[in-house]
Amino acid sequence: MKDRAKSLKIILMALVALILVRLFFIQIVEHDAWVARAEEEHIVQSTIKAERGEIYMMDGEDPVVEVMNRKVWSIIIDPMLADTDKTRNEVSRVLPNERMVAKWDEIFADKTRRYYVAARNLTKPEADQVRELSLDGVYLQRNNVRAYAEGEMASSLLGFVNADGEGQYGVEGALNEDLSGEDGILKTVTDVNNVALSIGDENVRIPAKNGKNVVLSIDRNIQHAMEKVLKNGMERSHAGHAAGLVMNPQNGEVWALANLPTYDATKYAEVEDASVFINFPLEYAYEPGSMCKTFSFASAIDQGKMTPQTTFTNNGFIMVDNWKIENAYKGLIGTVSMQQGLDYSLNTSSMTALMMLGGDMTSINQRGKDLLYEYYHDRFGFGDYTGIELYESKGNITAPDAADAYNSRYANMTFGQGIDLTMIQVASAFSSVVNGGMYYRPTVVAGEVKSNGEFDYYDSPEALRQTVSAQTSDTMRQMLYGTRLGRRNLGIDKAGYYIGGKTGTSQAIIDGAYSFAETTGNYIGFGSSVGELPEYVIMVKIWGEGLKMEGEKDAMPIFDEMSAYMIDYLKLKPGGNN
Amino acid sequence: MRNEYVSRRGTNSWSRNQNVVRHGYRGLGDMSVRVILGLMVLIVGLIYATQSVKATQYDYEISDIDSEISSLESRKEDLAVERARLTSIAATESSTVAANMPDAQTSGYANK
Repeated sequence: MKDRAKSLKIILMALVALILVRLFFIQIVEHDAWVARAEEEHIVQSTIKAERGEIYMMDGEDPVVEVMNRKVWSIIIDPMLADTDKTRNEVSRVLPNERMVAKWDEIFADKTRRYYVAARNLTKPEADQVRELSLDGVYLQRNNVRAYAEGEMASSLLGFVNADGEGQYGVEGALNEDLSGEDGILKTVTDVNNVALSIGDENVRIPAKNGKNVVLSIDRNIQHAMEKVLKNGMERSHAGHAAGLVMNPQNGEVWALANLPTYDATKYAEVEDASVFINFPLEYAYEPGSMCKTFSFASAIDQGKMTPQTTFTNNGFIMVDNWKIENAYKGLIGTVSMQQGLDYSLNTSSMTALMMLGGDMTSINQRGKDLLYEYYHDRFGFGDYTGIELYESKGNITAPDAADAYNSRYANMTFGQGIDLTMIQVASAFSSVVNGGMYYRPTVVAGEVKSNGEFDYYDSPEALRQTVSAQTSDTMRQMLYGTRLGRRNLGIDKAGYYIGGKTGTSQAIIDGAYSFAETTGNYIGFGSSVGELPEYVIMVKIWGEGLKMEGEKDAMPIFDEMSAYMIDYLKLKPGGNN
Repeated sequence: MRNEYVSRRGTNSWSRNQNVVRHGYRGLGDMSVRVILGLMVLIVGLIYATQSVKATQYDYEISDIDSEISSLESRKEDLAVERARLTSIAATESSTVAANMPDAQTSGYANK
C-alpha cells in the first residue's frame, strides 16, 4: 500500500514535471512562435487597394471622363459544398440564366472541383441578392473593372487593364505607374465575426494613394469624327485598316489618334487579331512615301539651294549607283519647276533637291547626304523617339557614314523609301515645317483632374528647336497649298481657307522586296483661315493585305472630309481672298 | 479596538482626580483592506470591460458604416458610368432627338 502511494506520487510528480517542462517550452522557448500563431488567428493584414486613376478626354475646353472604375462581383461555387438543386433553384430565382457564364450542369458535373466561376460582372444589388441567400458553397468575389463611356472608340489608344489590374497597351500600359497609385496596408485585430477592432497596439493603417486622373489632350469630338471618316474611307476603298491623327501644329498637342478596326476593351481576351492592340500612328514605323518630299524640299529651300520656281530637266528617271530610279507619273518630261515636281510628286524633283544640297547638279555627293541627314535626323527628329508619353517606335534612318549609306538609299530617302518613320514623327516634323519652323514635342497628356475635382491644365509645351527658318516655312506652306489646287477647283476646299497637303503612296515590302501589288495610301496636310498660321495638321494612312491603296485616291478623300470637319469644329472664320 | 485608562492619582499632585485618556491608532484591519482592494480591482475591471465593450460596439458601428459607404460608393460608380454613357457622343448621335433633327444647310457669310 505504501509502495503504491509512493509510485502514484512519483507518477504525479513526473506528470507535473512534464507539464512544467512543456509550459516552459511554450512560454519561454517557443514564445515568439506561439505569439505569431496567436496573431495569425486574430490579426488580419490586408491590402487597401488604391483606386486606379480615371482617364479623361477633352470635350472642347472641358475634360470629360472616358475610362472609369466599376466594382463588380463574380459568383464562385464550390460544387463539393454546394447543394446542387438548392443552389440552382435559389440562384436562378434572383439571377436570370443569361447572367450566368457557365451552365448549371457543367458546374456540378465534377463534384471534386472546388472552384467554379458561375457568373461575372454582377452589380452591387445583384450581388447583395445572392449574398442574402446565404447558400453553402456559394461565394462572392469583388473585382474592379474598367468601364468605357464611348465603347470601342479610341480602344487602341487607350489600351486595357488585364485581370491582374495591370495596364496593357496604349495609355493604360504606358502610364500604368501614374494610373495605378500605391496600395495601402490595413493590419488590425478582428473578433470572431471578422470585424476589425480598434483595440490592440499593433493596428496599422496606411491609407492607399489613389492613381492619377489623367486628362488626355485628345478631344473626344475630333476623335469620334476621325474614326467616322476613317470608317467611311475604308468602306469606299474596301480597305482592311486605317489610321489617322490630328494635332495642333502650334504646340504639339494631339487631338485625335485613331486606328481602325477597333475592339471592345472590356472583352480584350476575346480578340482574335492582336494587331488591333497596336497603336499604329506611334508604334509602327514604315516607309511613308512621297510625303517625305515635303522634308527634302524644305531642307534644300532652307539651305538656299532652291525655290519653288527653280527648274530642272525631268527625264522621268535618274540613274543612281546604276539603279534606275523612276517617277510614278510618266508625264511632264522636259524642264519643270520644283513646284510642279511637288504637285506631280516627281521622284526626280526630290532627288534633284538632294543634288542641290550637295552643290552638284550631276550626282549625289557626301555633302548632300550629310546635310539631308542633319535635317532629317537632327532637326526633324527622324530615327529618334519624339518623346510622346506613349509607347512609340523610333523608326530607322541610315547615317551618312554607315556602310549601307549608298547614294541610291539617300536618293530613295528623299521620297520616303529606305527610311522607316512613324506617323507621329512625320506629323510632328510636318507641323514644324508649316508652323513657322518650330518643332514641338508631341503630347497626348493635357493635365490631370485632382482629387477635389479641379482640372490642373499643364503648361503648354515649349518649342524644342527650330527646324527650318520662318521664311522656309512660309514657302513650304505655299508649295503645299499649291499641290491642292485641284481640290479647290473641285470645290472640295472651301473658299476663305488655306489648306495644303501632300500625298504619299508607299510600296509594301514583301519577302524583302518592294511590291507593286500592295501599297499604302497616305496623306498629310494642314488647314487654317487664309492669312493665318495652320490651326490643324491631319495625317491619314489606309492599307490592307494585298490591296493597292493610293495617297490621292484613297487617303486624300479622308483628309478632305476631316479637314472640312475641323474647320467647322474649330469655328474658323474664312479669311481674305484665295 | 481598546481604550487604555491610566490612573494618575498620586503621581502628579497638580492633576489630582483627573483622568487622562490616550487614544491609540484606529486603522483598517487586514481583511478590510483586502476586501476594499478586491472591490477596487473589480470596479476598475468592470470599467475596463465596459469601455472595451463600448469600443467594440463602436467598431461594429464603424464596420456597418464602412459597409454602407462601400455600397454607396459602388452605386455612385454605377451611376457615374451610366451618366457618362448617356452623355457619350455615340449615345447622343444615336438618340431619337438627333435622329429627328434636320440636316444642316450650307450658309454663306455676310462679308463674302
